[in-house]
Order: sequence, then C-alpha cells, then structure tokens
Amino acid sequence: MSEHQQYVLEREQIDDLLQKGYKIKKVIESLSGDIVQFEQDSNTEEEPTKEILLILTPNARKYFSVKLIEQAQGNVQL
Amino acid sequence: MADLRINLAGIKSPNPFWLASAPPTNSGYQVQRAFEAGWGGAVWKTLGDPILNVSSRFAAVSFNGQRVAGFNNIELITDRPLEVNLKEIYETKKRFPDHAIIASLMVEPKQEKWHEIVKRVEDTGVDGLELNFGCPHGMAERGMGSASGQVPELVERQTYWVKEAAKTPVIVKLTPNITDITSTAEAAVKGGADAVSMINTINSLAGVDIDTWNTIPHVGGKGAHGGYCGPAVKPIALHMVGECARNPRIPIPISGIGGISNWQNAVEFMLMGATGVQVCTAAMHHGFRIVEDMIEGLNNYLDDKGISSVMDIVGKSVPKYSDWGNLDLNYNITARINQDVCIECNKCYIACEDTSHQCIDRLVDSNGVSFLKVREEDCVGCNLCSIVCPVDGAIDMVEVPNDLPPMTWNERQAALGLLNGTAEKVVKS
Repeated sequence: MSEHQQYVLEREQIDDLLQKGYKIKKVIESLSGDIVQFEQDSNTEEEPTKEILLILTPNARKYFSVKLIEQAQGNVQL
Repeated sequence: MADLRINLAGIKSPNPFWLASAPPTNSGYQVQRAFEAGWGGAVWKTLGDPILNVSSRFAAVSFNGQRVAGFNNIELITDRPLEVNLKEIYETKKRFPDHAIIASLMVEPKQEKWHEIVKRVEDTGVDGLELNFGCPHGMAERGMGSASGQVPELVERQTYWVKEAAKTPVIVKLTPNITDITSTAEAAVKGGADAVSMINTINSLAGVDIDTWNTIPHVGGKGAHGGYCGPAVKPIALHMVGECARNPRIPIPISGIGGISNWQNAVEFMLMGATGVQVCTAAMHHGFRIVEDMIEGLNNYLDDKGISSVMDIVGKSVPKYSDWGNLDLNYNITARINQDVCIECNKCYIACEDTSHQCIDRLVDSNGVSFLKVREEDCVGCNLCSIVCPVDGAIDMVEVPNDLPPMTWNERQAALGLLNGTAEKVVKS
C-alpha cells in the first residue's frame, strides 16, 4: 500500500469517528506515530465511549491536527 | 534611469556597490581605479599595526569547471605604515569627494588603541569606519578579528570605545564563525553601532594536495586555516543578513557581504535587508570593470519594475522570511514533467528513486515509447527532480490545491498543548 493510500485510509478513519460525534480528547506524540484518543460524550451517566487511532502518515497527522484546531475553535467542519 | 544612490547610516554613495575591505582596496592607486570604473564606495583594507605576511596566500575551490566557486585566503591586514594609507585615503577622497570611503580598522581590544586610530583616520576625511571583528585567520590568534568578534561583550565594549571618539558613522563588521550572528549584532547595537556589515570570511581549509599531502595553500610545506568567501558562501551570508534584518533588536542598516558576484545577487541582499553591498571575490576574479554590468543590470531591473530609487527595495523580502514553525504545513507543490521538453536522461528518476521519495514512474506508452511520469499523490514537492534536471522547462513545480486550511507547526503544537494541558511544555519541546 502506498503512503498516499494509507493516508486516505487513516483520514477516513478520522472522519468516521468525527461524523459519529467523537471529539479528539488527547494526543500522544510518540516514536511510532501519533496516538489520538477520541471520546464520544454520552447523555447518560455512563462512561464516554473511547476510540484510539494510531496515526502513522504525515498527511493524516496534519489532517487530524486541522480537525483539532477546528474543534478548539468550536467549528468542526466535515 | 533609476536613482541608484544609497544612504547607509549617513554614508552616501552614488550606487550601492562598494568594494569590501580586502586586497582590492589595499592602496590609493587601486581604489581610485575602482572609482573610475564606477564603484560607489570602497572599504579600505584594514588599518592597524602593520603586519608581516606569508608568501602563498590565496587558494580557490573550483567545482565542475566553475573557477573560483569559493575563495580562501590567509593574507592579513595592511602591511603598510598607517601614514602611507592615510595619505592615500586623503588624496583619494579629495579626488573623489562623492564616493564613499570607509576605513576598516583593527587594533587590540584596548580603549586607547581604538581612540588613537579613530582620531588619526578620521582626520583624512573618511566617510565612515568599519570595525573588523571578523577576520578569522592570523589576527584572531592575537586576540583581534574574529577572536574578539565572537564575544558579544567584546563587540559591545569595543564599539562603545570607538563611538566615544568617532565623529563619522561606525559600521561593525561581523564574523560568521559563530552560532548565532544576531547575538553579536545586538551587542554592536548596544555599543552604539550605526550599522553592521556581514559576513566576514568563514574558517576554512581550501584543500589538501593528494600527491604531496600539503595543504592548499601551503607555506613551505605547512598550512593554516584561512577565510573562505566567494559565490559558495552567498547562501550563508544571505541567511545571516536576513536574520539580522528581521530582528527588531537590530534596528540599524546592514551592509551585505558574501559571494555577491552580479547585480542579481546585490538585489537579493537588498531585498533581504541590506542597504548596500560589498564585493571582493568577484572583483578579484574578473577585475574592477564588472561593476559596469552591475550598475546597468540594477538600473534596468529597477526601470522594468517601475521603481524609481534603489532604496525602495531595501528589506522588501524580510517579511517573507520567518521561522520554520511559521510555515504552512498544508501548502503543497508537486513536480510535473513536460514530455515535450524532457530528454529522458533519467536524472530525475534516479534522484527520486535513490535519494528522495520514489514517486517517478518509468512507463511505456502504447507505441512502445518510454516516458517518465510523476505520481503526484505521492510527490512531497521536495524539488530534487527539478534541481537535478539538466533541461530548463522539463520539470515544473506547480502548486496543488489543498482542501485543508493553512496550518503551521506552531499552531498545531499550540492546539496539542491546549488539548493535553501542557501548552508551554509542548511549545518549548
């Protein structure tokens, strides 16, 4: 798989979670890539649902960063 | 005809082209011939206690047929008595009152030494002084030149001493043999400098003779490091000029030096913040008359741009020069090979495949004709293919629209810091 194809796949995974209402809650930059923790707020007292993606490609790391900035600005655009 | 006159910290000259302090400005005979040829100013070869020189002083680095791509010297400051130089400066200034003569000075880092030479030199009618805190060879071993120019406290203190005595503008010439030239430039400002000039030469050894095992140059079988200049150092000098020009704590004019060989180079330095330029190696390589092309080329450039005064271009590129962290991570370019122009030498393919990102394919069309094509989605826009391509116009680097908004590394790290509650730590890391 080319790096571009891998980027497209990772971008789709990020978009999928954001479209389901997840928000980026934590990012850990590591030697192996960026570990991005997503959480979906629940309306009940249950623990929020968490998902974790290991983002490997540089373009996908740029992509979630753009989404994070938009999230911080309260302006998530998909 | 554009106005080519410049005013650098009060020093006026008919054009921005000065000869740098070096062998071409060793004597009145040379400087007067330079002015006749059209040079706007000259920084007289450094005055100080007359020195002793060695024989075999210069060396050049040629690269693939390009003579004098770099130039190395182990010559020291003037070896002539001060009185001889002062007499010739006086005569030259009298004959060319509208040309700028700046005296380069170097003495021991002692207040009385600086006061004495400043007073004696200014009596000749020079337009300004340039303090040589940059020569890296010989004099540095005696505590002068770059040895004192590498210590911000010494730069500040000596500049201050000169300013105590000087009536003319004081330019502090800086050494590039330091991690951050802005630290010494700021020291010069604190000492009261009216301007800074950069760069002096870079520590260097031009080569080693692989047959005799002698250094190049050598003095009877023994060598010492010299100062490197010429076209090869231009990018280093341009960067240092830019770093000082965009530093708000260095609000004084800059005289640009370092590999300037033609009018285009001069324009680059002026756009990056230099008010004027100094030239040495190109004059040593081709003679004083190169200034004719420089003047004509600069004038035509300004006329073509509709710019009436050369001073209007000073610093125009400085706002475009920033830190890596402020660059847009989402700006994309890609390589495109023009099949009509490509000669299929495969240089781009080899460069990309061996040393870059493996995004050029060698393909064969339906007629069995081979051709090269960039997989644009995998191209990172590094420019390498277009750099190694021997044919102008065969490869274009073109902007690619991005659906993502601009985002810098600094913006990204700030957002991550806010998210993780470690803003300060993340930004600093």
